[in-house]
Amino acid sequence: MAATGTLTIPQKSKMDAVLVLRIAIIASLLVFWQLLSMSGLLYEDVVPGLPQITAGLYRLLTTTEFYVNLKVTAGEILAASLIGGLTGMIAGLSLGGSYFMERAFERYFYYLGPTPKIIFFPLMIMWFGVGSGSKVAMGAVSCFFPVALAVAAGMRRIPPILIRVGESFRANRWQMLTKVHLPAMREPVVNGFRLGFGVALIGVLLAETKLSNQGLGFLVIQNYQRFDMPGMYALLIAIFVIAVAVNAALGRLSRGGRRR
Amino acid sequence: MSTVARDPFLRRWAPELTGAAVIICGFLLIELLVRTAILNPYVVPRPSDVLLAFERIVVEEQILSRFLVTAAEAGTAAVLVALIGIPLGTLLQGVPLLRKATETWIAGMAAAPIVLIYPLFLVIFGRSPWTIIAIAVLAGLPPVAMLTLEGLSAVRPALVDTGRSFRLSRWQMFWKIMFPAALPSIFSGLRIGLIFALINVVGVEFLINFGGLGPLINELAERYDMPGTYAAICFVVFVSIIVFVVMERLEKWLRPVR
Amino acid sequence: MNDMIRPEQIAQPPVTAPEPMLVIDHVTKRFETPDGPVVAVDNISLTVGRGEFVSIIGPSGCGKSTLFNLVGGLLSISDGTIRIDGEAINGPHKSIGMVFQEDATFPWRTVIDNVAFPLELQGMAKGERLERARHFVSLVGLHGFEKRYPAELSGGMRQRVSIARTLAAEPKLLLMDEPFAALDEQTRLLLGDKVLQIQQELNQTVLLITHNITEAVQLSDRVLIMTYRPGRTKRIALIELPRPRTSEMLSSDTFGRYVAEVWADLREEASRGMQDAERGSR
Repeated sequence: MAATGTLTIPQKSKMDAVLVLRIAIIASLLVFWQLLSMSGLLYEDVVPGLPQITAGLYRLLTTTEFYVNLKVTAGEILAASLIGGLTGMIAGLSLGGSYFMERAFERYFYYLGPTPKIIFFPLMIMWFGVGSGSKVAMGAVSCFFPVALAVAAGMRRIPPILIRVGESFRANRWQMLTKVHLPAMREPVVNGFRLGFGVALIGVLLAETKLSNQGLGFLVIQNYQRFDMPGMYALLIAIFVIAVAVNAALGRLSRGGRRR
Repeated sequence: MSTVARDPFLRRWAPELTGAAVIICGFLLIELLVRTAILNPYVVPRPSDVLLAFERIVVEEQILSRFLVTAAEAGTAAVLVALIGIPLGTLLQGVPLLRKATETWIAGMAAAPIVLIYPLFLVIFGRSPWTIIAIAVLAGLPPVAMLTLEGLSAVRPALVDTGRSFRLSRWQMFWKIMFPAALPSIFSGLRIGLIFALINVVGVEFLINFGGLGPLINELAERYDMPGTYAAICFVVFVSIIVFVVMERLEKWLRPVR
Repeated sequence: MNDMIRPEQIAQPPVTAPEPMLVIDHVTKRFETPDGPVVAVDNISLTVGRGEFVSIIGPSGCGKSTLFNLVGGLLSISDGTIRIDGEAINGPHKSIGMVFQEDATFPWRTVIDNVAFPLELQGMAKGERLERARHFVSLVGLHGFEKRYPAELSGGMRQRVSIARTLAAEPKLLLMDEPFAALDEQTRLLLGDKVLQIQQELNQTVLLITHNITEAVQLSDRVLIMTYRPGRTKRIALIELPRPRTSEMLSSDTFGRYVAEVWADLREEASRGMQDAERGSR
């Protein structure tokens, strides 16, 4: 699907049309929101106007409260991604490297992967307490499965021919790992980590909205309970921008350095 | 070992049996550790108690009727996802400019943490099924729209040319050529969309403490009914797995031979 | 018919052949399957002399790829031996370089880094190996493409990268498994010319596995024709066309006669293979 986009030669007028359409879509959404806010169909508190939300965003970004909680959440997400990512990587390598392991255990990973992880949160609280521990555990559990499955699949998807080439040149085990296996699976592995990071972020933030006294998720719920809607919307916007930016940065990392 | 090697059944399924045996041994080990109080019995209940709790949560907590509530929400979301997602994918395929402008957005939405905006719907719809369904629809929509678009775009030009040679109308072209050719891809989209919807339904139910299965876990955990909590979580996991497997089978069964 | 040798005669190297480098001596390969053993290669013998170009041709499913894997040391032999310069083969041998049918270039390495791969494994210093690799890149006619990635090259160019990479290890025997099968006819002919030219320049010994009759006749001194299941030697044809050869000879009468002769032998085997396939799909 992306191929068709890159194959067509970008013509100036077409690019402009796309840009205009994009701006038009965004503008009409904003206008719709503003009209909805002014129409009084819903409580104005529920659908605050754009000026209020902008003011809320300004207020949010100028208080230290936001940055303190951002730091807490970022630390939890980082720890969760590291723990979940590394254990997932080890599990994936052992699943992908052995046909026996694949047949013995992969189905459990495969079927547990898409279950809703947040329902395990009560257990995490029991095991790791109400503080950061349970949030990190929540994120790590979410992160573990996509990484394990991506690494296992990436390992298996290495074209057998490339392994035969390595063997035909009598590469030793270490050379096979560093010069054939790892470079061949780089892309799926980085994509797996990206996916894992995304779900770790969701896991941590949802856990924070459920039960916590710090972090961005906690701030969202606090604003909701105080009925500070502009503040809550501003927070949601900030969280989304951060999530999208980090995801894009990781995506660049997976494509960087190699042309396909 | 020699008897194992000789029995063809055991030899054929050795890896699967080993895997299952390791997991059963794991549960037995936990049972042992809890009984000897090496693991805190207030944190980890005995696996045997969890097993017994299943009967209790079915009889006393009406887990089956709660399941129907969750299923109804997920089903409504799935129908909405199909009704919006397939036409949306078709529209994007038909209007290249619109596709160029929004395809990356929709793809980005698939990766975005949509469930996090549940407080927004909580504000708009209150604690009602519609909050849950709205999140589930938003989560399920991107894969359906994207895979519909992908399937329609990947129809082999030879098939399109064949349609042209029979001078089909636009309408005929879509229903006789494009849609059937894209069907396998659309099925994949629907399967993924439904799974996303289900995950988000249960997740949001748990978070806003409203609906079917989600609040049950909350209630049991608040009552410190450990075996019950574990059993309820296991039940939700089983349900997700069953839905997942059924969808997979269904897709294979409906997918024409290629 | 004096250019034909009966199978039983070839246990001894033919008088015309130069000193033997590769000796395939009564080699059999059986695969164990749930339905009992299947013989893929049955009692095949062949010698390849230094500087000689020998092809093995047969219908699909005759076990020629198995034979390739046996000579390459990627599969173990059930009966018989394969020796290169007197050394029995068990596992990939340093004197044998392999070129595969599929695209086998590393997509994450540039052309020059692909070709330098075997030298890197040997632990050669960076400057030296790049210089050596550059030489082999030019040899296959890819000068100027050193910094490109395989994805930026055509199929024929990628296969030339594979050949250069194998040659960079300076193998005594170049072993190729249908290296041009995935290419179009014209590229295939031109690449055949290139291989002939390189073979001439390096006096390279080559064993080529193929199912393409024109290719076998165009390139080889001798062609071993295999039977369909189990893979046995049907005949070894001597191709006495003058060297240096190019694809321009394709139109000559002698060339046509050789092609017709090989096809006459192959035809029966190929139709047996086709009947088998038709039975299988029912």
